[in-house]
Amino acid sequence: MEKIIGFCNLHDDPHLGQLTTKRPCGVVSFLGRYGLMDFTLSNFSNSHIDRIYVLVKNSVLSVRSHIGNGAIWTNNTRRGFVNLLLNEDGLFNPKFNTDLANLKANFSIDYVDFDYAVIAPSFMLASIDYRPIIAAHEKSGADVTIVYKHINNADEEFHNCDRLKIGADNKVTKIDTNLGRTSEADISLESFIISKKVLRKIVNDVSKVSELFSLREMIKYYVGEEALDVRAYEFEGYVIPMLSLEGYFKHSLDLLNVQNRNKLFSEDWPIYTTTHNTPPALYGRNADVRNSFIANGSIIKGKVENCIISRDVVIEKGAVVKNAILFTRSEIGKDVKVINALIDKGARVSGVNALEGKDGEVLYIKQGAKI
Amino acid sequence: MKHKVVAMILAGGKGTRLESLTKKTSKPAVSFAAKYRIIDFPLSNCANSGIGVVGVLTQYESTALDAYIGNGEKWGLNGVHCLMTSLAPRQTEQGANWYKGTADAIAQNIDFIDESNPEFVVILSGDHIYKCSYNEMIELHEKTGADATISVIEVDPAEASRFGIMAVNKTDRIVEFQEKPKVPKSNLASMGVYVFSWPVLRKYLIADMKDPKSEHDFGKNIIPNMLNDGKKLQAYRFKGYWRDVGTLASLHEANMDIALDKMELNLYERDANNRIYTEDTYSVPQYVGKRGSITRSIATQGASILGDCDSCVISNGVVIEAGAKCTRAVIMENAIVKKGAVVHNVIIAPGVVIPEDAKINVGGDEVVLIGK
Repeated sequence: MEKIIGFCNLHDDPHLGQLTTKRPCGVVSFLGRYGLMDFTLSNFSNSHIDRIYVLVKNSVLSVRSHIGNGAIWTNNTRRGFVNLLLNEDGLFNPKFNTDLANLKANFSIDYVDFDYAVIAPSFMLASIDYRPIIAAHEKSGADVTIVYKHINNADEEFHNCDRLKIGADNKVTKIDTNLGRTSEADISLESFIISKKVLRKIVNDVSKVSELFSLREMIKYYVGEEALDVRAYEFEGYVIPMLSLEGYFKHSLDLLNVQNRNKLFSEDWPIYTTTHNTPPALYGRNADVRNSFIANGSIIKGKVENCIISRDVVIEKGAVVKNAILFTRSEIGKDVKVINALIDKGARVSGVNALEGKDGEVLYIKQGAKI
Repeated sequence: MKHKVVAMILAGGKGTRLESLTKKTSKPAVSFAAKYRIIDFPLSNCANSGIGVVGVLTQYESTALDAYIGNGEKWGLNGVHCLMTSLAPRQTEQGANWYKGTADAIAQNIDFIDESNPEFVVILSGDHIYKCSYNEMIELHEKTGADATISVIEVDPAEASRFGIMAVNKTDRIVEFQEKPKVPKSNLASMGVYVFSWPVLRKYLIADMKDPKSEHDFGKNIIPNMLNDGKKLQAYRFKGYWRDVGTLASLHEANMDIALDKMELNLYERDANNRIYTEDTYSVPQYVGKRGSITRSIATQGASILGDCDSCVISNGVVIEAGAKCTRAVIMENAIVKKGAVVHNVIIAPGVVIPEDAKINVGGDEVVLIGK
């Protein structure tokens, strides 16, 4: 059996507006319970990839506290692990802080015993079984396999993502950017399968091509130069791209719809996350909750509609919260109205009558703010 | 390695009064308050009291409970100074023996306790719901120089004859123990939580093993014997929420106490060091549907509430379909209440499916168990 390692790559993740000023995209709270990177880590775990490295670009402490000892994603806790790799030099040199620089600094390709590496970002949410993809990669004899999704709403979604042109035998002949001009497109999910030998080559080549290039850009370069055999593998499941604050907000609330939810989650593909030992959610006498996710530890005494309520949130009596995402430990005081808003971790809204994002805009209340 | 304190949790009972809930599960493993099992409470209390050596005495349906207990990781009891294990009856050089009583269960594991060479042994019951730091009790035990300290709780005098009652003097030294007395001499009921000085208890356990007339029970034999010998037994007055959930009615009532936010158990205190720990489930967050409603209830992750729930306890994986109505219902993991069904004052056992339009116990005052 092939020896596989997984890299959860946080270097190339997009900014989700103010959500990611102090934390990487991968640990942004999702559905009140997860961090975005839980999907990638759980995909590895469910695909029986037991040696996992997280390529951390910055804010290592928030990644560290989310991962803990990594045991929840690990099958055998002696042989398996979730290790964090941080390129410290990159912190002083942000332009050069790429995934490949991180690999070069922290990962001894020759020392680690593996046949193939799976490298995946945290912002493309999906339940992906990598085992058939690795098998197809091996069978094709390709140097690199890119997992992609064929979409017919490229004019609305996946903007600025890599778009593949695929020829005979699934060969990738061109990679450009989805500018939203067409509706049909094959979008790279930025998940790559690479053999040990090819990964070594890419890490070595980068200093000859450009030290600024990320793995994704190097692969694009090889395709342009026809220097590597790059193939595409179509993923037919559901994918949610987290590319902006607005997209994050919309896609999260879309999952209140059970049909969408069932596309992302499946019973035989659990998404693991860290436990916080919170008690069950408590609903008061006047609680009025409709179409919402409620995480454990919350105390709901007011009205909640079309919302995602995270752990340990308090919603007081008389409060009305609609179309909103509330992060961990936030509090909405008595008789306060909150509509179209994203309330970040630990923020408390009590001294005002109403907070409302107007005209489809999401009102963002920053972490720890007291209003 | 020496440890000052060892805790032993009695978890071998069948819990006959919980009827079919304990058909394939021992009482301590019965689910409680949507996401817990009863034994999570004494185990979390040990963890939060800094007691790292814990033996769990199992017997009835021990396999499932042993598997749940594991190496104690769920309660953080797998650290370097910890030793946690379940202790089911075993075959030894002397032969194979079932545990013949609570005292015999401890006596058969004297070797386990001796390994830690402790000063004190805390004996706990695996089927009580309460939050308690045992440190205060151990401190009192040390300060008074007692041979045994028994945790007591004040009960309604009218109810006192249901309990083991401790009569005490002015300094709370126990002068008499009455097991379920017709005429109680006090209203201090034993909680079945004991701190013993190990050398003293050890002697009594060995003597008790050799006594053919003994029932090998702490309440009936060990405590009365110690009192008769003039040993110093101290009462520790516990203040707070404590429930023995040995019957369907008491199990239901204790669940309702939490759903109705009586808060006496203080599950919602923000002190992260004083939480109750349990097994984590990898389920999606709980979802309340467009036409669902939920009031005066608790619900945990993995639940789907599409119908109406008032005064309910809703566990992991439970589905309440649209149009179903649940009141005063304790709904255990993975149970389903189909559309149009109405249930009232019930405990629904794990995995049970309540059929469409079923009407169960509507208007009933007594709690009904719906088992498989």
